[in-house]
Amino acid sequence: MESKIKQKIMEQPFRGTALLDPRCKGLLLILLGFVSYFVNGEAVSLILVMGFALFVSLGNGAKWAAKMVASYAMVSILSTLLKYVSIPVLSVMMSVFGVTILKFIPIVMVGNWILRTTHMDDLMVALQRMRLPQSVTIPLVVMFRYIPTLGIEYRMIRNTMDIRGISDTLWKRITRPVATVEYILIPLLMRCLKVTDELAASGTTRGLELEEKRYALRDVHFSLPEYLMSIAGLLFLGTLLFLDHTSIGEIILWRV
Amino acid sequence: MIIFENFSFRYEESEEFTLKNINATVGTGEFILLTGRSGCGKTTLIRSLNGLIPHFYPGEMKGDIRMDGDSLLDMKPSQLAGKIGTVFQDPRSQFFMTDTTRELAFGCENMGYQREETVERIAKAVADLELADYLNRSIFALSSGEKQQVAIGSVYALQPKVYIFDEPSANLDYEATKRLAQIMAKLKQDGYTIFVVEHRFYYLRGLIDRAFLIQDGQIGQEFTREEFCTLPERTRISYGLRTSWPERDADTYQEKEICHGNGHSFAVKDLAFAYKKGPEILQNISFEAHAGDVIGILGHNGAGKTTLLSVLTGLLGEKRGEICYDGKKLSPRKRRSLSYLVMQDTDYQLFGSSVEEELSLGVSGDPSEKVTETLEALELLAYREQHPAALSGGQKQRVTIGAAIVKDSPVIYFDEPTSGLDYDSMVRVSRLIEQLSEAGIIIFVVSHDFEFIVRTCTEVLQLDDEGVVHNRHLTSGILKSLSEKYFN
Repeated sequence: MESKIKQKIMEQPFRGTALLDPRCKGLLLILLGFVSYFVNGEAVSLILVMGFALFVSLGNGAKWAAKMVASYAMVSILSTLLKYVSIPVLSVMMSVFGVTILKFIPIVMVGNWILRTTHMDDLMVALQRMRLPQSVTIPLVVMFRYIPTLGIEYRMIRNTMDIRGISDTLWKRITRPVATVEYILIPLLMRCLKVTDELAASGTTRGLELEEKRYALRDVHFSLPEYLMSIAGLLFLGTLLFLDHTSIGEIILWRV
Repeated sequence: MIIFENFSFRYEESEEFTLKNINATVGTGEFILLTGRSGCGKTTLIRSLNGLIPHFYPGEMKGDIRMDGDSLLDMKPSQLAGKIGTVFQDPRSQFFMTDTTRELAFGCENMGYQREETVERIAKAVADLELADYLNRSIFALSSGEKQQVAIGSVYALQPKVYIFDEPSANLDYEATKRLAQIMAKLKQDGYTIFVVEHRFYYLRGLIDRAFLIQDGQIGQEFTREEFCTLPERTRISYGLRTSWPERDADTYQEKEICHGNGHSFAVKDLAFAYKKGPEILQNISFEAHAGDVIGILGHNGAGKTTLLSVLTGLLGEKRGEICYDGKKLSPRKRRSLSYLVMQDTDYQLFGSSVEEELSLGVSGDPSEKVTETLEALELLAYREQHPAALSGGQKQRVTIGAAIVKDSPVIYFDEPTSGLDYDSMVRVSRLIEQLSEAGIIIFVVSHDFEFIVRTCTEVLQLDDEGVVHNRHLTSGILKSLSEKYFN
């Protein structure tokens, strides 16, 4: 019985790249963020997305990566189509909007994947090993914990707004966008304040403020796989930056 | 042994002392119930036990609290972590991790235990408290009762000698409350010292050794279990306490007279609901309600009560069947405009920057006269300029009810309106609902609170596991069968 329970405790739902040290994942995300903004060529951007989609797929994220690649293709095709329709102002706005979304897709893909495939205790250990003070790590961890609940809280607030007839139609939302945002943000912030307060109290009574050396349920080390992955990532991104300035950067992929 | 020596405490931002000259001695292995009206200082008392006072909530202290000779007030909460464990009221906001296994490990990892020891301790907690089914789950997929058990497990893994529970049953249904009582019984049997702050303490009546009645920051009365459970009705009510024997209310139940005044009716025929491709969560739901009915929606957690509310209020569309008001079929959109939902968590419902604005939000035309009337009826007139967030929990609830009245909703839904309320506040909510019912409003109440249901409802809808509903006029006989299900 006892050994069965222990086995279940040590069960690891994540595979492959999902098991990388959180520091390595974070580093790759930051590098990706930079490169995504500097790369302009259509072919090069596509390689960037595909490369990271492969990386995510190798660690419990195949479905998610497929979804994001599909949306990337869709947005690309849509913004190409828009070039053929010229409505003054709107066309320019939409093309800028399209490019921004395209740059965000790989970041969202990897960012959300990190959120879903990182055990929080691994994250805490990793941050502690970076010698970050607790005044930095605790808010970071609370944020990491709070992000998944935002969607739930948002839906609760929208439900009430619908019932009370506050910004319940598309028309009201378009004509009074500031009020709508305010009505959503105020309860969200109130809720956030309350939850973080209670969370801090509950953490404190379980020794959160102790500065002992932490051990997560699994080994968290920045070791060979992490070094290899970081170097591979650097090389990959560096190559893309270089390619972007060659003729490959000028290839036009999306045509109708 | 824990000794309170003339202990007083004043919060930094308050002028008066919240706790005044507390003197008490609690022996090792004792089970202590702390109860009393809202705002009497119960919560402050346990905060001074677990170190949150003075380190998390600073203020002025007098006297001392000693555990086995050492002063608790000199120790930081982190030093107390392995000695005194606290289980908080809201299971949603006490989880630091996003999965259950890490949550169980959280305290041990903070203490800096080696991995083997952490695993050893969690395994013991899982085995002792029967939590094996909950391992490796996302906390978002657990019911309140399951979360509460994992929260206890996480504290148990630290192996403290003293347990503190702060209104642990406030968000639980009767089944989960039974399970909670079982766990508490085990902790008591193992010789731990236990403090429980609770308003609805019926489930503790076989466990408590002593009950402290906190009145205005002092231990006003002290009872043995025998004395406490046999308090005369009138004395109990004068202390503002809930009953220890809610099932006895079934015997004395008197059917309420309903005047179907304005003759509006609300009918549901063969309603079914399923999430996109999922199985049907609700099916064959048919019932009728008339103006002035107060209908209790009962069923254990996960039976689909919240889903039913969402369908009835029009937040979700039905899969089959129809919902009619005065014989006319209602679309979800029409239902939203007819209904009002008072949520358990009022935080989600307050949008305005003043109480007055809150009541008139989303109402067309000039409602100012009606707003003033409503504020007066709800005893909120003095607060009309204040920000809703600055009000107490009960006042916030009344503000949301006020918004429903101003909106002129003919159907009002309440989701667990009495969770965490003392006797007086519960009676107040019940009276308010009675007044709404007299005004011809159809009222639905989702509740686990037997005492409140008996006092308030005229009909009950029981949801069973298949999502089928049984509609019955509330009689003494039905209450008896319900009470057997709840309390045996």
